[in-house]
Amino acid sequence: MTTVSLTDVASYLPGEPVPAEFYTDFPGAEDKLRNHPMFKVPPLRHHVAGDETNADMVERAVQPLIERHGAAEIRGVDVLLVHSQLPDLPFVGAGTEVARRLGLNPEWLVDVANAGCASFVHMVKLARQILTSTDAKTALICNAQSAAGQWFTQSEVRKLAQAAIPGDGCGVGYVTTSAESPVLDVETRHIGEYAGDMTLAVDDGRKYWEPGESQLRIGFTDASVAKVLARGNRLVPEVVMELCRRIGVASTDIDVLITNQPNRTFLRNWREALQLPAERHLNTFDAYGNLFGAALPVTLDRALSSGQVADGDLMVLGGFAHAGDFAGAVAVRWHGGRD
Amino acid sequence: MSEPSSTLADIPGLVRIENTGKEELTAHCMELTHAVYPHHQVYGQYCTIHEHVDCPPEQAYDYLRQGHHLEEWTCSLRDFAPTGTPGLWVGHDRLEDDTRIYCRVAANPEAMTVDYHCSWDQGEKLWMIYLMRVVPARLVLDKPGSVITWTNCRHPYYDDNPHPGLAPRPDRPWVGDYWDLFYAGHTVEMRNLKAILEHRHRGGLPVGSAPARTVAQ
Repeated sequence: MTTVSLTDVASYLPGEPVPAEFYTDFPGAEDKLRNHPMFKVPPLRHHVAGDETNADMVERAVQPLIERHGAAEIRGVDVLLVHSQLPDLPFVGAGTEVARRLGLNPEWLVDVANAGCASFVHMVKLARQILTSTDAKTALICNAQSAAGQWFTQSEVRKLAQAAIPGDGCGVGYVTTSAESPVLDVETRHIGEYAGDMTLAVDDGRKYWEPGESQLRIGFTDASVAKVLARGNRLVPEVVMELCRRIGVASTDIDVLITNQPNRTFLRNWREALQLPAERHLNTFDAYGNLFGAALPVTLDRALSSGQVADGDLMVLGGFAHAGDFAGAVAVRWHGGRD
Repeated sequence: MSEPSSTLADIPGLVRIENTGKEELTAHCMELTHAVYPHHQVYGQYCTIHEHVDCPPEQAYDYLRQGHHLEEWTCSLRDFAPTGTPGLWVGHDRLEDDTRIYCRVAANPEAMTVDYHCSWDQGEKLWMIYLMRVVPARLVLDKPGSVITWTNCRHPYYDDNPHPGLAPRPDRPWVGDYWDLFYAGHTVEMRNLKAILEHRHRGGLPVGSAPARTVAQ
């Protein structure tokens, strides 16, 4: 079978860092929960500009890939996969706009709307499948997250404890038919049983696109947060352990683990469950907050550029989505040095 | 409840709905919830296990309260015989050669609790205490049978034999050296208990058996 590599990643963080006080000093801010790890406010995060779109962020995030691999290489990708956490338009995904901006003419273009915070894993699996079963040779996979600076800054939502956790950012991956940094295996699970448990609350009962005064927010109740905690606690270690079993290693053999980063409690629990020391479970929570689907490529890019991944390291990227309707993990043997 | 609350206000560290909002309480509990717990954290100081047994609670209780049945369901307690002290029996713990174990049963039929007060080597101070309780499964699981719980607490003597001179030989290992295997060992014994009770109940047989040696009344 053709070997597929995660050849490179790159990222973009919009604007200047926004301090925690943007939320904690906001009049009427809910602050009782701030001391708890689930809601502890990251010191910094980034926000998209008012007129910045998902396609804008992807375009910027891809620039380092163009510099490192050449404009022709990137323009020539056969596969384009895009996940936008907060789509800018109904009907139309960001994919074709990304293709237009970058001058791409991919045979395969998919706007991925599922797999949320672990959609990078989902897209690596899709890209690997297309690259191993068709003539396609290269793929560009993109995660754009722009909810923090738009949705969570609404005047009422901004007061909620949940608002201070997210951050915006974009990460992209370049996947090729090569043996340089091979994708060793991917474990993914779509779990229909947990679909629909994450809801959007609009207090006046309108549809989100209908006119009205109420502000859209994520509708987790305390009881549903407890369920999601239990599911996340179980699902991410399960998919990583299953991935490890399939490639014949122990979880403690993982050199670099990167997960989605909803809060510090999940980061602690996953690290503990996989028996990994904190220094091998990398995250960017303090600087970028919860990046949703962009967390995996953004954190990996930062780990690579700060020299936290050594040649030959076994990297595992994993996470879960929404209220547990997807979980996935991918293992890569990293040889993609940047010097 | 205003009066009790005012006295409770003097006690630091209480987490109650009156001083902690519902959301804060939930967040606090989330923080305390881990994905996994290390063995020593769960079983280091106390060892509690539990099992559903498909045998009516009265029969399960009656079986447990008769101490000689320990010879059936435990792995290594054998050859119990009465001592000169009423209610105190002595047998061998075949976990280690020549090791005597003393045992007295304290049972409460209303609560269906059966506590085995035991000790290796001497019967003066029974400090190895096995606390068992039979709960009607109909009440707690809405199904027939019994839930049996079993707790041991790590008495300081487990870590430090108070009478090393009473050991049959100087190099005889101490019971407390096995503490970290108690979860596993007691689980094996609980499965024996379940198998015996379920086999006899299913077959319509008496669940108990006659003691090998009779009590000197």
